[in-house]
Amino acid sequence: MKIRFTLNGKNVVLESAPLKRLLDILREDYHLFGTKESCGEGECGACTVLLDGKPVTSCLVNAIHVNGKKVDTVEGLSKTKLGKMLIDCFDETNAVQCGFCFPGFFVSTYYYLLNDGDNDLEKIKKALSGNICRCTGYQRIFDSVKIACARKKVGE
Amino acid sequence: MGSVRKFDSKPKINGSWKFLDDYQSEDMIYGNIIYSKCHHGIIKDIHFPNDFNISEFTFVYAKDIPGENIVPEPVSDQLFLAVNEVFHYGQPIIGVAHPNKVTLTNFIKKIKIDYEELPAIIDIKECLDNEKNHFGREITIDHRTRDEIQNSWIRHHNVYYMPHQEQAYLEPQGVIAEYDKQDGIIFVRITAQCPYYVKSGVESMMGSAVNDVVIETSEGIGGAFGGKEDFPSLLAGICSLLSYKSGKPVKIVLDREDDIKITTKRHPARIEIESYTDPATKKIEKIDIDYRLDAGAYQTLSPVVLARGVLHTAGGYGFPDSFIRGRLFRSNTPPNGAFRGFGAPQGFAAMEAHIDGIAAEMDITTIELRKANIFNNGDEFPTTQKVTEENLIDCFNKVLEISDYQKKLKSYAQWNKNHKDKKGIGVSLGFHGGGFTGNGEKTLNSEIKVVLEKNAEVKIFVANTDMGQGAHTTLAQMFCEAIDHPFEKTKVQLPNTSKTPNSGPTVASRTIYIIGNLLKQLALELKKKYKFDKLESYIIEHNSEFPLELRKNYIQPTSVFFDEESYRGIAYKDYSWAACVNEIYFHADTYQIELIESWNVLDIGRVVNEQIALGQAEGGILQGLAYGLSEFFYKPGFGRMSGFTDYTLPTTLDIPKIVIEFIHTDSVTAKGLGEIPMDFPAPALRNAFLNATGIIIDEYPLTPEVIYKTIKEQK
Repeated sequence: MKIRFTLNGKNVVLESAPLKRLLDILREDYHLFGTKESCGEGECGACTVLLDGKPVTSCLVNAIHVNGKKVDTVEGLSKTKLGKMLIDCFDETNAVQCGFCFPGFFVSTYYYLLNDGDNDLEKIKKALSGNICRCTGYQRIFDSVKIACARKKVGE
Repeated sequence: MGSVRKFDSKPKINGSWKFLDDYQSEDMIYGNIIYSKCHHGIIKDIHFPNDFNISEFTFVYAKDIPGENIVPEPVSDQLFLAVNEVFHYGQPIIGVAHPNKVTLTNFIKKIKIDYEELPAIIDIKECLDNEKNHFGREITIDHRTRDEIQNSWIRHHNVYYMPHQEQAYLEPQGVIAEYDKQDGIIFVRITAQCPYYVKSGVESMMGSAVNDVVIETSEGIGGAFGGKEDFPSLLAGICSLLSYKSGKPVKIVLDREDDIKITTKRHPARIEIESYTDPATKKIEKIDIDYRLDAGAYQTLSPVVLARGVLHTAGGYGFPDSFIRGRLFRSNTPPNGAFRGFGAPQGFAAMEAHIDGIAAEMDITTIELRKANIFNNGDEFPTTQKVTEENLIDCFNKVLEISDYQKKLKSYAQWNKNHKDKKGIGVSLGFHGGGFTGNGEKTLNSEIKVVLEKNAEVKIFVANTDMGQGAHTTLAQMFCEAIDHPFEKTKVQLPNTSKTPNSGPTVASRTIYIIGNLLKQLALELKKKYKFDKLESYIIEHNSEFPLELRKNYIQPTSVFFDEESYRGIAYKDYSWAACVNEIYFHADTYQIELIESWNVLDIGRVVNEQIALGQAEGGILQGLAYGLSEFFYKPGFGRMSGFTDYTLPTTLDIPKIVIEFIHTDSVTAKGLGEIPMDFPAPALRNAFLNATGIIIDEYPLTPEVIYKTIKEQK
């Protein structure tokens, strides 16, 4: 089937099998390799993208559900002002280890910040509970998000 | 320079850092493994589905292997591809490849293999309780000094069981092999810890059919934790053969279910401890440990894990009389392999629980008992190696102080009197020997290479990989700091066996401790030889002498000698030490342990990069806590895990506050850090539960099911 959607701000048209996973569409058809596959069952969040502005695990979204919608991936979001600021925060606190889960954490945090997330630890934990990291103990990721919240506030 | 930022952080966050599956090429085809779903049996027939065009597929069987059908290192007993009989679930039987990934997956799903089933052992207790299942290596450390057991001594005897643990690196196992027919060279790109292990694996598989084998890692290695130490050799062998036969580049990336089901895990263990304690002095006078590991169907790495296991299992205590017997046991499960800690976490899980068991039996505090037995300067390990420091005591005292242990112990006891739910606090100690065991580093004779370019750029060539632990940043930092060279002008090259010398595997907490310190020495020798203040200025002034290539090998100090026969001598030159206090809240209605706070004090010597070290410690501690609390791979009646839905990893909502402090950071030597954080946290959690409830549990992990079962049985 032919699907039309907005990918990182650009209108695109794609001939795709209706059940093809959004994850595979991004990686295979658009060579957007920032979105990672780790568990393939929606548990780990490594393939998180924004679908119409909301975080989804792209391994559980089929082509048919993307039609007419807006998809934002780490490649697009990391180039925004908010995205660049967030990358600096993660870098400064040494939040990243192997990095395989990180584009997913980035997208979830981006969504949290964009939707008035504040530096309340319990809220941050909940916002990131769909993303698994095996290398870190998450503490540095929380620290980064807190810093990012503070900087966003100042920026506003 | 203490906290130089990682050079690879930003590209990892924005998704541009390349992991294995991000490498593409025009004519690349996709490969996979068809593996046994029978635990033990004879292959009778293989049925391929008939609605596929078979001629489009490439198949490789054991008979197609031009070289040896044996994974060569460390013990060569595992087959690349099964011949007639399969010995474990997950054993590779056929390699298969096809240009279309979806077609390949659908094809594999429809393949049926008939087996004549044979008896199989898949349960941990069934494997480890039965002496008849012992096979392969046995190690004895005999440090018995007493003939008689005094009547007044108090005997404490118990058996402890530890489960499998899955490494659960977020990036699954993957490899790309490309056979160049013209030159007869196989090029392998892989997500792996040890490029030279992979090289020897592929060479063994391909034999004289190829002229050369070159291994290069992917830019990113998405976690490993030991899981990418030995299994990649097997995967690379099969993938290379597929490329050789098809003439095309072949990529294999395991999906999560296959990865969990067929790759190596932490060894399940059964550890039996018998001890005799003098009630007058609280000194444990005699100890006997029977340390058993379930190796799986083949020995592979297990003898090495066993060695480290028996050398750590007696814990940080100066026992005057000890006897340790370590053995491997065979089961029909995939071979168990390396996982951060390498036999030590099992050992401490048992020993630290045992210490609390003795204290409970003697009605003294666990602190008193530990203080009476903890390593003092001059004490001996069971190997007779002398303890030459009291840094473990320092860790212990410090963790009691920062956690406010004594005060909490009293207040929780008071609180527990009036509540159905319980609060508890527990302690544990641990240590980890840096580098290869015994004479291992001497045998490895690791070599490093450094190239100084005309523009003063320093290129470091080592085979050690950066799998997220920040090794490449820290290694560059160690070279730079020694001679005050700018970090920005120093870069560790991507490991490639045709370019980087064999500086040994990225294992055994040895990368910074052995290779980092070697780089530092090389830098200092350079400065001494050329007598410069700044390397940069020297290179500008003497530009015609550059580029300059330097090499250096690790020489094990002659003072380090270990007798592999008697297991006496210096097993490790330097030890890292740690102590932990965990606080828990036990929910009596749901039988659930909630982690409240984890306090950890570590002596890893000089801390090269504090931010990186804290990150490493934090991650390892969380893996250790999960080992004690929630992670297991197989249960009778439940079967084996098949993904992250059933193998539950700690999420942001499951974690306690983790406090970490490093002590003795002014030391000269940067000691091992990678593994120790995983070694010790689990028993402190178990001991906290004992403190909270008075209930002794000798089986990890302490899931609500295990707690419920124990309470029910005690009633």
